[in-house]
Amino acid sequence: MEKGEATKLRTHHKPLMPSDEEARTQLNKPGRTLAGRLYEFFGRWITLPGTRGETVSAHDGPARTMAGRLNELFARWISGTELGATVGHWASRTIALPQLRRLVGADIPWAPLGKPISECSVVLVSTGGVHLHSDRPFNLNSDSTFRVIPKNAQAGDLAISHQAYDRTDALKDINLVFPIERLRELEAERVIGRLAEDHYGFGLSGSAAQLMPSIKEVARRISQSHVDLALLVPA
Amino acid sequence: MTTVGLALVKEVAVAAHAPRFLYLRWPFGHALGEPGNVAQQRTVLHDMLSMATSAQRPGLVIQLPYRWRRETYPPVGDWNTPSQVVVSALGGMKETT
Repeated sequence: MEKGEATKLRTHHKPLMPSDEEARTQLNKPGRTLAGRLYEFFGRWITLPGTRGETVSAHDGPARTMAGRLNELFARWISGTELGATVGHWASRTIALPQLRRLVGADIPWAPLGKPISECSVVLVSTGGVHLHSDRPFNLNSDSTFRVIPKNAQAGDLAISHQAYDRTDALKDINLVFPIERLRELEAERVIGRLAEDHYGFGLSGSAAQLMPSIKEVARRISQSHVDLALLVPA
Repeated sequence: MTTVGLALVKEVAVAAHAPRFLYLRWPFGHALGEPGNVAQQRTVLHDMLSMATSAQRPGLVIQLPYRWRRETYPPVGDWNTPSQVVVSALGGMKETT
């Protein structure tokens, strides 16, 4: 979308949340075919396979990648209610446990810190669907790729593409799923030695096996950059 | 390289066979706490750093005792001293094993 168009859209709609029309325009540009119109209609409610998942930014904070309305309601229920949390925990266990049992060996790796925290180089890895707004969004239904986020990225440079949790609070404060601002403070206060140049974001993925090549690549990059401590943050 | 993870689902953290995990009974999407609560976020980070320096064996999943939205978080006093929460949780684990 051209910059001029974006400004025009925003002047016509509520400033904080994109309207349905804006979201539809953002999601897919279906043309005038019947299939396109059906896709557009159902896509409003459910995140369909192949959804481009474009991000919508209407304020200075991180941008939100639009999911289907039912997906958004479900995510709000999962994050915001006791029953939803119970179902969310059950779903996580049901999806993750059999895969982890297959993939994970009996031995647990062990690398003790060889120096004080104040001399350590620290990297952040988040599975909250965080990436640069200028980067390709994660596929909302499942995505096993990763994104690189530079250490100086500001909240407004970021976006969240994930549909399995309510992003409302994380969009207000990105540190809930990607505490980069807090770590920059700790670097400035000399609590930690150095914040790594590159940090890593993952999205929602239903397949641990498909994630493995990305995990290995991120581990390789982190080792190469002489990082001492990796902090892993889920959503 | 040393790793410390936060976890919101305890069983998944245990099954992941990772070296060090801190488990929080907080809602999905809030691993570091509530929006704008800097003291809370710094407390969790202090606990993560403390886990990195203080855990003595692999595979520990420690539950952090913070209740959701019902705690006050004093500023972290000394970042070079491991957090009392992590130290006492690790101490408790030594006794049970």
